[in-house]
Amino acid sequence: MSRFISTVKTAMWLDYQIASNWTKPLTFFTYNIAKPVGASLLLLAMYYVVTGKIVGSMALSFIYIGNAFYMILGQVMMDLGWLVHEDREHYQTLKYIMISPSSYYSYLIGRSAARFLLSIFPAIFLLLLGFIIHIPYNFNYPLLLFTILFGWIFMVSAGMLLNTITLLTARYGGSIGETFAGIFYLLSGVIFPLSVLPSFLTKFALFLPSTYWFSLIRRSVLGMETDPVLSQLSLQSTLILFAITTAYFITLSLSFYFSMDYLARRRGALEMITTY
Amino acid sequence: MIEFLRAVKGRAYPRVIGALREPSWMLWDTFLPLLSLSAYVFVYRSLHAPREFEGFVILGGIMTAYWLNVLWGMASQFYWEKETGNLQYYIMAPASLESILAGMALGGMFGTTTRAIGILLLGTWLFKVDMSVTNPYLLLLIFVICLAAMYAMGMMFSSLFLLWGREAWVTSSLFEEPIYFLSGQNFPVKALGPYLSMAASIIPLTLGLDAMRQLIFPSSIKFALMDPYLELLFLSILTIVYLFLAKVFLRKMENIGKTKGTILTRWL
Repeated sequence: MSRFISTVKTAMWLDYQIASNWTKPLTFFTYNIAKPVGASLLLLAMYYVVTGKIVGSMALSFIYIGNAFYMILGQVMMDLGWLVHEDREHYQTLKYIMISPSSYYSYLIGRSAARFLLSIFPAIFLLLLGFIIHIPYNFNYPLLLFTILFGWIFMVSAGMLLNTITLLTARYGGSIGETFAGIFYLLSGVIFPLSVLPSFLTKFALFLPSTYWFSLIRRSVLGMETDPVLSQLSLQSTLILFAITTAYFITLSLSFYFSMDYLARRRGALEMITTY
Repeated sequence: MIEFLRAVKGRAYPRVIGALREPSWMLWDTFLPLLSLSAYVFVYRSLHAPREFEGFVILGGIMTAYWLNVLWGMASQFYWEKETGNLQYYIMAPASLESILAGMALGGMFGTTTRAIGILLLGTWLFKVDMSVTNPYLLLLIFVICLAAMYAMGMMFSSLFLLWGREAWVTSSLFEEPIYFLSGQNFPVKALGPYLSMAASIIPLTLGLDAMRQLIFPSSIKFALMDPYLELLFLSILTIVYLFLAKVFLRKMENIGKTKGTILTRWL
């Protein structure tokens, strides 16, 4: 256990260094929030051109809060998509990490934990900006804390899943991460209600942990769920469904990890250099 | 001149071949933008926006594919070539760096066009977008000049990004969402107000999108920033300015390389 914690801590420190040591901390944190703010402003502008106003409706709150918290999920997915490629081809350290006494799985958990923590800051900044556009906050702090913590577990498992796939791919690192992020963005009721989707996609969305995660986020930040599909579920049901869907994501990611790790070692893919 | 053109052809060649080499990459590159693009279309549907707004999203998605190619395939390319060890060959080769960049631009445009056509066809089919082009020749001209200005901007950034080192990576990344907002990727840029939208017009994507929106969706003329002919004129000026600056920054980069000797140093 102490080795696991030590590996996670070291991996978190390493990830922070890779992400940030190209500049001073203040510049890095400004950069860290600029992208999410840009994405939120884009959605606000879209809302404005349709409605002619920029404050005070539940539709705006739905879009704004969903997008603010999606930044955590999206950033973690996109960054983790590159992780194996970076280690294997850019820094060429994957083989050394693999033969070290630490488990590669705990190393990946540490890296993703750092990305997750770094992505929390833009979400906090966007929540503060939300006061300017009169988002009707009604925080349920224990629920919010629970949702964020368990959200991390779901994101780590989803991140592991895509990381282990990239152990065997030559080029798709970023694309796989972006695809995961894009699917969650489109099908989890992040910036529009699930009822807008075609019915077969709505049914599919109900199998994704991210759908319940965003519902829990809205319940804990706005004090209610306005999505016509998800508002039919009670808070307890949403929590249970989130736990169940997260559990199968964890199972899936672990089984993928062991099988892909085995295949990558067999094929000698840990040293693969594709100059990409 | 013949050597210049041969170098252009030589550098464009691997990009053209690379764009067609692996069909699964084409599928992936088309499918990926469609995911976020679909989300934006559904946002407009949830807000009961007029149907042409969904067309704005498709058009924005197509032009964004080019913008991403400018950022990652042009502006960051010299930095990337340095990291992979190819930059010294470009510098040593008996060809100008301008011709190498021009080849990269042409090859990049070709590869992105194959993806953009896919996004256009799939996007219009999936969301039943109704487009009625009022002046196809002007539309084509604006599209071409807009691409020229965007890629000239990419050429200019390629030297700067090389000098900036690892900041190049984050700068490219930073030029995504904030630029989507400033250029009016999915909405009429006039909504940003006169000052901000005029300031955003130094990004060729802003003027190009605004002009093309007017020509493809005539009902959107009331949201237009300015007349398409005027936007064509400004895009032409931007092309010349960015090409000139690209040349200046290339010479500056070469000078710094000769005096400091750090241009080819990796991991900076």
